[in-house]
Amino acid sequence: MPASRSAQTLARHLFQLSLVEGQVSADLVAAVLAYLRQHPPRQPVAVLKQYRRLIARQLARYEARVEHAGAIDAAILGAIGTALARKYRRPITTAARPNPALIAGLRIRVGDDLYDTSIAGRLATLAALA
Amino acid sequence: MSTVIEQIEQQIAQLSAGTIKKNTGKILSVADGVAKVDGLSEVMYNEMVQFPGDAIGIALNLEADEVGCVILGDPSHLKEGDEVFTTGKLLSVPVGKSLLGRVVDALGRPVDGKGPVDAKEFYPVERIAPGIILRKGVSQPVLTGIMAIDSMIPIGRGQRELIIGDRSTGKSTIVIDTIINQARINRQGLASKDPGFRPLYSIYVAIGQKNSNIARTIAALEAAGAMEYTILVAAPAADNPANQYIAPYAGAAMGEWFMENGMDALIVYDDLSKHAVAYRQISLILKRPSGREAYPGDVFYLHSRLLERAARLANKGSLTALPIIETLAGDVSAYIPTNVISITDGQIYLETDLFNQGIRPAVSVGLSVSRVGSTAQLKLTKQVAGKIKGELAQFRELAAFAQFGSDLDARTRAQLDRGSRIVELFKQPAFNPLPIELQAAVLWAMQNNYFDPIEVPKIVAAADHLKEFLQTRKPALLDALRQKAALDDTLNMELKKALDEWKAAYAG
Repeated sequence: MPASRSAQTLARHLFQLSLVEGQVSADLVAAVLAYLRQHPPRQPVAVLKQYRRLIARQLARYEARVEHAGAIDAAILGAIGTALARKYRRPITTAARPNPALIAGLRIRVGDDLYDTSIAGRLATLAALA
Repeated sequence: MSTVIEQIEQQIAQLSAGTIKKNTGKILSVADGVAKVDGLSEVMYNEMVQFPGDAIGIALNLEADEVGCVILGDPSHLKEGDEVFTTGKLLSVPVGKSLLGRVVDALGRPVDGKGPVDAKEFYPVERIAPGIILRKGVSQPVLTGIMAIDSMIPIGRGQRELIIGDRSTGKSTIVIDTIINQARINRQGLASKDPGFRPLYSIYVAIGQKNSNIARTIAALEAAGAMEYTILVAAPAADNPANQYIAPYAGAAMGEWFMENGMDALIVYDDLSKHAVAYRQISLILKRPSGREAYPGDVFYLHSRLLERAARLANKGSLTALPIIETLAGDVSAYIPTNVISITDGQIYLETDLFNQGIRPAVSVGLSVSRVGSTAQLKLTKQVAGKIKGELAQFRELAAFAQFGSDLDARTRAQLDRGSRIVELFKQPAFNPLPIELQAAVLWAMQNNYFDPIEVPKIVAAADHLKEFLQTRKPALLDALRQKAALDDTLNMELKKALDEWKAAYAG
């Protein structure tokens, strides 16, 4: 059953309370969860699921997931993180994930943005043009 | 083989060597043709989004935590968690003359099995209508070939004339007759090699209709040779509501290409009542607040922004719109009908009672109006039909008294007889549009009392006989009427001579 408007509003409010200067604070999240345990709202599961979604989305904005096919060293990851931090004007941490399906190149995901320089991505674009 | 390799290499070279950036989201739920998507933080309103497979969507609801997208295409393969991408583009459709003679869907993809459409340009489906300064007054006629309309409710190029009536009153027949007549005029004009001739291309948008109805329309247009000047945009009842919602705008985009390239086009929306229903369905699924009759609050804007795109532009072409609205039980004061009446430049009202009495086309002259009026009429028509509307109005008033069976004076009886003859004269079979010169000749005969000796029930037969006489024995006279497009003393004399000859020959 989809979350009601009030559950969504509560989840959004709790999410806003969990941020410090735009970043998710682990302490505040723990405090929110403790509060919800003591004062369970109506539709507690829906509120928590919505809250989780908002927190996960916010965390994703500060992390760059770097998918790579070949080897990638810490210096490259660092350079990617620095470039993205400059572009987005916020601190960005990088996390590398091997993905041989890319064939070569990188696929970087920051929040909702996807940067694709992989061969697999270009082949998919070619296939879409055909 | 080397050519094949070259083609592939060209395509590879066309791809940008830089990074491809996309904004993504994940499907949270898919139901009733609408997908709720998490993410898509940079999506803009009305932007086209790409779903997995061939399905595309339009972002219509930009909410705080999710984006509501209507899906154009088959959503059956979509599931929760699927990735969705923004495209950075508005939904666009192919436009151009290559679409003439083709049947396409709401996205401009061919559905007639005649191969791909070779379109060089694409226009966005949603566009801002031309501003005031760019427009020009309506002064050129759109000849429907239906005598009742061309003489009393004239339509001009760039006008919006609503056709409104209950089910099965002949609304679609009027527009098909118009398209057929325009095709005949186009053939004649292009064959004459007249440099000043401007053909009128037609676009028929079928919204929410049965597939059998659409097939019948196509067959009627093909039989009359009208399909080569027509584009048919089909969004039948079996299509999802998003396609039915988009189809009129897609048709308008195709019409705008003609208008902006110095040509004239006619677009028919058949019908906007079903369009409003499809939009209502989408809005309710998107949980938008509903208003009167459960329609969303912007249902007026739905049609106003569509119909405002029909215009006559200065130094360019024109787009004439004939929207159709179906009423229930003749109620023109219902919500959607009153909305569209207030937007358009006039309406042709078809009555069920008239239809059942055998008066077809069942045009109610009293309730029909063209706000452009005689500005869009040829001088020829003005000269012969100027008084007809007034005479019919007098006839309707007097007919009410005649029902009581009271004794009538000779003058009243003469007016009633004249009115009855005019009503009979305006009866016209379906898919049989009349050239304007023939209409003018018949109306001239009426104005000069050639039908007075003929009994009212025999008027239709007499008029048919006259038309056949003029087409077979006096084609030069008809040509002269068409080319001069106005009556002068010479033409009046020739008409008198021809009608005297007909009168003598007609046994009645």
